[in-house]
Amino acid sequence: MKRDLDKVRNIGISAHIDSGKTTLTERILFYTQRIHAIHEVRGKDGVGATMDSMELERERGITIQSAATYCNWKDHDINIIDTPGHVDFTIEVERALRVLDGAVLILCSVGGVQSQSITVNRQMTRYKVPRIAFINKCDRTGANPPRVTQQLRDKLGLNAVMVQLPIGLESDLEGIVDLVIMKAVYFDGDQGEKLRFEDIPENMKAEAEEKREVLLDAVSMFSDELMEVMLEEKIPSAEMIREAIRRGTLSLEFTPVMIGSAYKNKGVQLLLDAVNDYLPCPTDVENTALDLNNAETEQLVTNNPADPLVALAFKLEDGRYGQLTYVRTYQGVIKKGDAIINTRTGKKVKIGRLVRMHADQMEEIEEAGAGDIIALFGVDCASGDTFCDDKINLSMSSMHIPEPVISLAIKPVDNKAQVNMSKALNRFGKEDPTFKTFVDHETNETIISGMGELHLEVYIERMKREYKAEVEVGAPRVAYRETINQRAEFNYSHKKQTGGSGQFGRVGGYMEPLEEGEYEFVDAIVGGVIPREYIPSCDKGFRKSLEKGTLTGSPITGVRVVINDGSYHAVDSSDIAFQLAAIGAFKEGYAKASPVIKEPIMKVAVEGPSEFQGAIMGSINQRRGVIVGTFEEGNYTVVEAEVPLAEMFGYSTVLRSLTQGKAEFTMEFSSYKQVPKSVSEELIKAYQEEKKNK
Amino acid sequence: MGYEPLANKNPLRVLKIGQESTSEMGLVMARPGLGKTALLVQIALDSILLGNRVIHISIGETIDKTRAWYDDILRYILQEESVSKPHELIDMVQRHRMIMTFKESAFNRPRLEERLNDMIMQDIFKPNCLVIDGFDFESTDRGTLEEIKEMAETMSLQVWFSAVCHREDKRVSSMGIPAPCHEVDDLFDTVILLKPDGKKIRLDIIKHKGKAPETGVDLDLDPTTMMIKKG
Repeated sequence: MKRDLDKVRNIGISAHIDSGKTTLTERILFYTQRIHAIHEVRGKDGVGATMDSMELERERGITIQSAATYCNWKDHDINIIDTPGHVDFTIEVERALRVLDGAVLILCSVGGVQSQSITVNRQMTRYKVPRIAFINKCDRTGANPPRVTQQLRDKLGLNAVMVQLPIGLESDLEGIVDLVIMKAVYFDGDQGEKLRFEDIPENMKAEAEEKREVLLDAVSMFSDELMEVMLEEKIPSAEMIREAIRRGTLSLEFTPVMIGSAYKNKGVQLLLDAVNDYLPCPTDVENTALDLNNAETEQLVTNNPADPLVALAFKLEDGRYGQLTYVRTYQGVIKKGDAIINTRTGKKVKIGRLVRMHADQMEEIEEAGAGDIIALFGVDCASGDTFCDDKINLSMSSMHIPEPVISLAIKPVDNKAQVNMSKALNRFGKEDPTFKTFVDHETNETIISGMGELHLEVYIERMKREYKAEVEVGAPRVAYRETINQRAEFNYSHKKQTGGSGQFGRVGGYMEPLEEGEYEFVDAIVGGVIPREYIPSCDKGFRKSLEKGTLTGSPITGVRVVINDGSYHAVDSSDIAFQLAAIGAFKEGYAKASPVIKEPIMKVAVEGPSEFQGAIMGSINQRRGVIVGTFEEGNYTVVEAEVPLAEMFGYSTVLRSLTQGKAEFTMEFSSYKQVPKSVSEELIKAYQEEKKNK
Repeated sequence: MGYEPLANKNPLRVLKIGQESTSEMGLVMARPGLGKTALLVQIALDSILLGNRVIHISIGETIDKTRAWYDDILRYILQEESVSKPHELIDMVQRHRMIMTFKESAFNRPRLEERLNDMIMQDIFKPNCLVIDGFDFESTDRGTLEEIKEMAETMSLQVWFSAVCHREDKRVSSMGIPAPCHEVDDLFDTVILLKPDGKKIRLDIIKHKGKAPETGVDLDLDPTTMMIKKG
């Protein structure tokens, strides 16, 4: 089976919450005849959308895990990754973007460019993903595609130009004018499956001509041929215009804007055409890998099936038959029965089964060529691992992984749950690098940490449903940190005489604040007052001290420790003696270095009708938030603020009741900042109490 | 606050703005692209360093872009002057500044007043100074400006506007203030005109606190750094 790479598209669909990503994907699958009935996200038939395969996703009506699917439209193979919209699941979005060649950015025709669209757009820019915009929900009251297009230009800085016009809006949405072919398109049949091309209605001709001019103007700079035709005042062919749009899109300098309503079955087929026409095939984009044999120098991957294999595992799923690994191949061919090497572990694995995924149904295949997205069975790996054959040793560049900001203590209800819980946690940790788990040795509690309340909630639900692990959940806890504010000296001797060999070590030096980075150890010992072999012991002792600060038991960051003095004993000094001396020295210095607590500050954006601006700002002010700015447009307003995460618990409920449910908010981690004195005192007191009660 | 020494190094200090708590109306005029926003941001930062709270109103701009102006200019100040705890200064500036951006069509005087009252009443942010960038003088009548002046007086606010003038438009007031502000020049206490002068941009102070400017006040805007310098 030889595949023509020109006819492969790996695309993603991503957008703000509730812009209708999943609904759109459902329509695409229907029109490409992958599924034979349309189920709505919150449909009455109780089936749920095909892509929302997790029970929990169907229940909440949101997509949590990105699902991969495959379809065929007009001879092109399209791999689609339906990505989640909630900011807590950003890592899923980022991962998906890494393996995509192009993307469809969905926007709501009423809400326009919302905060999540901005985040997603930034990620797409980071990974240089060409995109087309699709303004969905044009059937909704208040739909205004030109306004959304303007927002794409203003807020996202995209060179966005409409390539279509709606015929009627809101409930009168009848069809779409295609400005490339200058025809009106109507969608007939029960599910809009029959396309009818007609002349543009009389009353829209002038507008269509005008908008076509705008479009041609914008894209002519990408094609000399088109420019020439226009200068000669001839009418350019549709192919010529498409070619120009494609070039502009691929260079990331142009974003075609499509419109429609997935729910009302309008415009989806045209969007599929656009995916084929404007988005890149695997050979159009450059992907780089790091050569592990050659000091991690960057190297372009070739997309050539004849070259050695390079493939990236970007997603793991625990299915009924063991671990399912989603893989994107960048060059070479992956075949059933092949032995491939995981470059992270150096282990050789054999491919038992190779499948093409369609949400949770699958199709067995024999081999897959470069540029494809497929899934492997029974291959043990973590997500982000690269597979190669034995001739080369490449790793796809590492992915950007944010630090978790919130944690929860969980306790299994019984023994059986205990076993299942550890299985589940092990699995989740592999699936999602932003989900971390560890055991607090002092309290013997299991702590899970992640990117937000919902993020952790979902994992707890999954533990219950998929692993039958019932757990008791503690209150969410903010991941505080401690740091120091000034330089302080230390000079500490550790002595122990217990008969037999004793322990002795003395460590002197100072610690000071480190502006960037977490910890730095400087060895300024001269004259061997601490023997070489014990220097790493000191470092180890300091590192141990950093794990738990004395104020709230949080990790300490931003410290440089310099040792410049010390003494040893020929018999009594040992590794452990110097470790303990370093711990003691750190304690001594830390107390004098004016330690402070830092807390995660979130960048919060609240969007809603202008009439509630006062109430929204009030609610942020009450939460120790600093309002960065406000933006008003028409009757719609956005308040941007920086608010401590600790104050954001339960904010969604408060916001809902303040604004009659008309406002929504998103937040993402911004930075760590020192907590104010009053709060800091409370935190320290609470920690002391807690310690006493143990 | 402890930032007065830093504030005193600011060349703008010779204008003695932002010190008294009386209301005042200021105007920065220039042809497009000469650095009106840069000057306004430096006026705002000057006021913040003196311990005032500033609302920066940007009409037709985004929050991020406006914020970037402050970040850039603050970064430059931190590069030039040694500040013992730069993070504290950055934090302080953020707490004393608020950005309000409006789509051109969404900005009007009643709405502005409503927003300000909202914030003052709820004790969210009580400004001493208002900077309004991108105000459309072409299509504003005298009445609106008088109302803003009145509002500034009741709230004892310093208000600074920016206005764009054009080379082709030759209209000019008796004081030498060009269109579109030539008919409302009496409403402003201080008016600064930015004028290209060889490789520099000169601050032409037409009016200073209601009077003709004192002599010896000579300021430039460096076009590469966009910073105000003594001439």
